[in-house]
Amino acid sequence: MGIKIDALKCTNCMACEMACGYHRDDGFAFLSACIVPYRAREKKDYFGVLLKEEDSLVVARPEGTEINRIGEEADPDKEADASAKPMLLREACDLCEDMKYGPMCVKICPVDAISVAE
Amino acid sequence: MENRPFIGPSLGIYTGTGASHSWLWFVDLFEKAGFFDLTFLDEIDVRRGGLDGLDGFATAGGDTFALAEALGPRGAEQLARFVENGGIYLGSCAGAYLPMRSSKIPLDQFNFVDVRITNLTSALPTPQRMAGKFCTAYGCRFVFHPVRETVTLVIDGKSPAAGSLIDAPLYGGPGMIAAGDAQVLANYQGFTDKTLFLTDRRLAEKTLIGTAAAVRQEKGRGVFYLFGPHFEHPRYPEANRFLLDAIKEEMDRKPVGTEKPTFWRRNARPSKAGKALVRDVKRELSNARIVAAGLEMLPLQWRIGEKIYEPTKIRVFLDSLWRRIRPLEKADHVHFTPGCDAKMLRLALEITETIRTMKHRIDENLDATPQAKELFHRLQGLSKAFLQLYFDTRAAEAMSDFASFTPIPGELN
Amino acid sequence: MEYLSNDKILVVDLAKGDVEEEELSEELVAERIGGAGVNARLYKEYADDDPIVLGVGLLTGSMYPASAASVLTAKSPVTGKLCHCPVTLKVGIEIKYAGFDYIVIKGRSDKPVYLWIHDGVADIADAADVWGKDVWETTDAWRKGVGDDLLQTMVIGPAGEKGLDCAQVCYNYWTGPDRFGIGKLFGQRNLKGMAFRGMGLLEAAEPEDFVDEAFELLEAVKGNAFMSKKGLGPICAALGEADAEEWLSPVVHRHSADYFTPYATNTFAFIDEDPAAVTETAKPEPGVLISDIPALLAFKKLGLSALDAAKAMQACARQGVDPMAAATAGEKGGKTSIDDILSQVAATTEPAAMEGNGVFSPWCPRKPIFGDFGASDTDAWWERRQAVAAIFGIQPVFAVMCPQLTEESMISLSNIGGELELDQETLDTVIGDIAG
Ligand code: SF4
Ligand code: SF4
Repeated sequence: MGIKIDALKCTNCMACEMACGYHRDDGFAFLSACIVPYRAREKKDYFGVLLKEEDSLVVARPEGTEINRIGEEADPDKEADASAKPMLLREACDLCEDMKYGPMCVKICPVDAISVAE
Repeated sequence: MENRPFIGPSLGIYTGTGASHSWLWFVDLFEKAGFFDLTFLDEIDVRRGGLDGLDGFATAGGDTFALAEALGPRGAEQLARFVENGGIYLGSCAGAYLPMRSSKIPLDQFNFVDVRITNLTSALPTPQRMAGKFCTAYGCRFVFHPVRETVTLVIDGKSPAAGSLIDAPLYGGPGMIAAGDAQVLANYQGFTDKTLFLTDRRLAEKTLIGTAAAVRQEKGRGVFYLFGPHFEHPRYPEANRFLLDAIKEEMDRKPVGTEKPTFWRRNARPSKAGKALVRDVKRELSNARIVAAGLEMLPLQWRIGEKIYEPTKIRVFLDSLWRRIRPLEKADHVHFTPGCDAKMLRLALEITETIRTMKHRIDENLDATPQAKELFHRLQGLSKAFLQLYFDTRAAEAMSDFASFTPIPGELN
Repeated sequence: MEYLSNDKILVVDLAKGDVEEEELSEELVAERIGGAGVNARLYKEYADDDPIVLGVGLLTGSMYPASAASVLTAKSPVTGKLCHCPVTLKVGIEIKYAGFDYIVIKGRSDKPVYLWIHDGVADIADAADVWGKDVWETTDAWRKGVGDDLLQTMVIGPAGEKGLDCAQVCYNYWTGPDRFGIGKLFGQRNLKGMAFRGMGLLEAAEPEDFVDEAFELLEAVKGNAFMSKKGLGPICAALGEADAEEWLSPVVHRHSADYFTPYATNTFAFIDEDPAAVTETAKPEPGVLISDIPALLAFKKLGLSALDAAKAMQACARQGVDPMAAATAGEKGGKTSIDDILSQVAATTEPAAMEGNGVFSPWCPRKPIFGDFGASDTDAWWERRQAVAAIFGIQPVFAVMCPQLTEESMISLSNIGGELELDQETLDTVIGDIAG
């Protein structure tokens, strides 16, 4: 199971980010959300949604979804010590397992751009 | 100890070259336990006798070679003397590798504990994932890391807890075989559904299961504790308890100390300038946090020394300081050692500047590794100075609440 | 005020170059609720300084649907009245998350400055390098300087610096609801703008009850037929401009929404890029975000193509000119070609004629869109609806679209989230006071 995002439907409203932040912090906040509408290309009107999962960062772009593995070496020839665990502050999506509404981002998205995929 | 308010034993934490961010976990753990008499030391402090008068000294994860090299022969000497004279050494992960017997330069200066590690090989197995985190060259052999994340340990020895199971996170720490006087406290017992296998399960089992995860060895009047996993990690309360109990037991064994708390000896004073300093540091922490949060969702990482750093680690430092701003804003007086304020502010300003430069370089597709290196160095420095101020303030507050204790001498300046 | 709030009022003295903080008392909230209600009170308190007051709505940035807006309150040089101008897009919520509920700006700086508000810290920062620059250059410079692409800004362009009545306070890069010449007030004070960023947390007194009721409301909102539509085209059609949707379509790229606003009330028009492009365009500045429906229709009425209207909108956004003022000037001067209009934009000095009471911005269409509110007196209904939106922090266009966002639900959620005992009577009093 996982979260599926239709970036073309998305209107970049940030509600999912808020709902996920609420799930983490029990208040209204964005800082711990693992789902984040991408809005840094404002002048180009280019937006989509980022989702942090356990091993990957999902980038839902209008032109299609791309999955980046987290912690994988850019340059596999180099060596490194393993104790530098990527302590990503943002917890990975847990599908809101402890929430009575289930996945909060799915519930809140006003335009149904987010769904749960089997 | 009994005749002063409880601010815990005098504990040192290593923050210098070679340390990653995991020493901040020790900080959180000690603070939660009410230990406020903390001293933060880099390699220079250690070499200059900064361990004198401390009850314990904690060294967490990082780059063992860099650590050993930074401490150097002087540092090794100081560490040996510290333990001989009754000090408690607490090492996890890299901090555990450091004092083990080794013939490799510069680790050979730290031959204090009789253990061998089991995750050493001359024929490197193939990693299944995270190749970059899988191994480190060790002479002509390799230290390799078959698993990461949560593992299950079984408590060993004569303690009433013997036989019980606890979880702890392993991020590159060793499996150990004790020899000589070294006493096994806990063994690796099994894996969990949170264990991440970097190699095949059979090899992982062969390398770790049944080997020691925590070892204790007395030396002179003091003692070394080596922890393979990060017992100090905030999300593992059982492992935390185990570590705190160990400190308590060792403290009970020690003769009652007559030493003044270390923050006294540091001459930390309440200062009117403290509030403004906190405000200025807050401003820069916010400036830096804002940039760091933006970098965080980008798939980026930097290699520093032998370590890989992701932008999220910047925020581990920044958030650790950020959440301590509030209590300082509320404190009646902020205590710090005269002279450290200018340095702190300079570091804070440099951090904002460096992280903004990194952002610009990343935007322009330029390598930001040199800046990242600078940044982590400064973050370590600021964290050290700021947390010292924070704990001096907390300790002074706790002490001044205690009626029989006269407040710190010296005027508000 | 413990909940839904930062408990902080910031008072900025531009003349002295210093800032002070006050607490936001629960009594003030109980009496004046929030947003324009509290702004008006603060204006009165500092009336001798003729301040500009910025305030967040009581529900702004919460899980109440469309709780996107904050509000700027000032004595309008256009209407001479105390006016309340919505702060939209994602700027409105950033103010709250940056750590302040209210910001009173008084005095005049002797050099160009801007306010940099972050995580509860307020800095009066130098703006000499951006003085004379247009809105886009300024937001770009600030974002770059701070190192954050998500910095939210309020900016004036050359029009505001020159102190023209048609000057608008723009949000990030785009024109907004300011028909009141607040941009001129910024310019007169040597205030180039404000920048906001914060990672705060707002607590609700009864978070679970709040979410339950908010979700119930959201379900009702989602039941509306208009939820299958997006953007300005269908709004124009609903307002009786049936051909506007088709007229606009050749330039439409995508539609986007203000914070948690269920309907996307902003449409992005591509000018020098194919609007059908899905991948990120290589053009750095391909178009313009349009939220000003009356101005768009006014350009259309002048006979402009949608492309030319978009160009005019973009020019207004850069210059910091109210596009309605530009369209009006174009009409008065008999300008119908895009080149004439564009030169007109930079030369626009007069504000647009004000519809309504001159207290709330007619940037928001002055009748119900899609929804049926059962109002007999549309003008009075509109003024009231805008007042309510400005008090609680509701996106104003969505407020005239969605009947399910009732006053009752706003009061109820405020009470649940804020541990308050507001009632309809209090709300009526506040509305009566601010609606002029
Ligand atoms: S399912 Fe829950 S945890 Fe996962 S992204 Fe959505 S809100 Fe966040
Ligand atoms: S809630 Fe839906 S529309 Fe809003 S940003 Fe998230 S995915 Fe996009």
